[in-house]
Amino acid sequence: MLRDSAAPCLSDRATGMALSVLAEAGRLLETLAATGEPGFIDLRSLPLSDADRSQLEDLLGRGEVQAELDVAGKSEVWETSFPGVWWIRHRGAGDKIASEEIAVCRIPEILITHPVDIEAAASRLREELETTDV
Amino acid sequence: MSDKKTLGEMLTERGVSRRSFLKYASYTASIMALPPTAATAIAQGIANARRQSVIWLSFQECTGCTEAFTRAKAPSVEDLIFDFISLDYHHTLMNASGHLAEEAREAAMKENAGKYIVVVDGSVPLKDDGIYSTIAGMTNLQMLEETCKDAFAVIAVGSCATFGGIPGANPNPTGAVAISDIITDKPIINISGCPPIPEAMTGTISYLLSFGSIPELDHLGRPKAFFGEAIHDRCYRRPFYERGMFAKSFDDEGARQGWCLFEVGCKGPVTYNACATLKWNGGVSFPIQSGHGCLGCSEPNFWDMGGFYKPLSTATGDPTKFVGGAVVAGAAIGAASAVMARNKRNKVLKEGK
Repeated sequence: MLRDSAAPCLSDRATGMALSVLAEAGRLLETLAATGEPGFIDLRSLPLSDADRSQLEDLLGRGEVQAELDVAGKSEVWETSFPGVWWIRHRGAGDKIASEEIAVCRIPEILITHPVDIEAAASRLREELETTDV
Repeated sequence: MSDKKTLGEMLTERGVSRRSFLKYASYTASIMALPPTAATAIAQGIANARRQSVIWLSFQECTGCTEAFTRAKAPSVEDLIFDFISLDYHHTLMNASGHLAEEAREAAMKENAGKYIVVVDGSVPLKDDGIYSTIAGMTNLQMLEETCKDAFAVIAVGSCATFGGIPGANPNPTGAVAISDIITDKPIINISGCPPIPEAMTGTISYLLSFGSIPELDHLGRPKAFFGEAIHDRCYRRPFYERGMFAKSFDDEGARQGWCLFEVGCKGPVTYNACATLKWNGGVSFPIQSGHGCLGCSEPNFWDMGGFYKPLSTATGDPTKFVGGAVVAGAAIGAASAVMARNKRNKVLKEGK
């Protein structure tokens, strides 16, 4: 993340926000376990310093699933060491972070193939098979 | 022109997946401070929408707003907006010129009556029958009134269109006025700034596409998502303000240490915009981060606010004329807070000795 070189002290300091976000993720995870209702935390809207962000990443850790998406730029999705808590990072122009969120759910929607895309893929594959000589 | 197919159908044919819609929707929800749960509704709304016809009118302006909107970047999530709209008229960007250009505007108005969006940058001169700015033999006033007649909504972009801007600055030789001074029977969204933040323009259009309605606006007709907070409220240098640590000039130790720029004229306390959070050039920086105070460019009559380098508390001119009591109140609060902060700091230092 870019920082202001004139005031380096501001982004180097942990403010305690990481623990607040972690606590919020914990509450959402309990709701998911009890009711199946997903929850989300928009990280971009929070005043996280660089130190907060890396502390949060360390606290959540990495779990069993990691995915890299090539969708209108790069995106990274990984399940944290707490199953059901996912970190979704979308990159935009210049590889900068366009949006970033914690999703507390069984699987993030962006990983699920949409029925419209399945239909289009089936049609494309059918055409491919019809025109391919084997 | 607008397509009969939905955006979902149109882009699926071009191999754009629904994941792209969802990613764009997550980005839009984030910049508009909507809950992340809104992303699914936005993605669905955009997929079901028709390509939005947009007629862009440029009057007394410098083309900076267009430059901001079309900022050159590699294709990315932010650029998907250009797939979602059909820019049917924009005399700087379109290939057609002369009567062919005007025919394109008239055809878009006819085919999309009641549905098209008019985007306007630049103010409209009214003095001497509006002769100071004409296009295709029409005054800006004539073109604006004719084009807005059957529009669904009007978006005034940039401080010239929203508040008169530099053309309207003292002594306003052309009698320049804002769009909202002329068009009073259509929903008008003001996206001020010189230029406005690109995301404020694209985010607002995406909101219109997704929900078919106008986002929540402030008392100056600006989307609250982008203009709901003062620059000062979200400024990363605010901790220095609270502690009474101010740069006194642009080359002193305070400036080098990144202290608050209030005393060198920063208008952040009375300026409502999202520069401190969205920033510029893909999130690289914003004026204060680059070492310069905020000019207040998204506020009415910023050009006449009394000097870019004069602190708010000592502004010259008559600030009440431009923004009511806001500047005076802001300056008073700012000055008082600064004095209190300094006193507190001195007390702490004294007690610590």
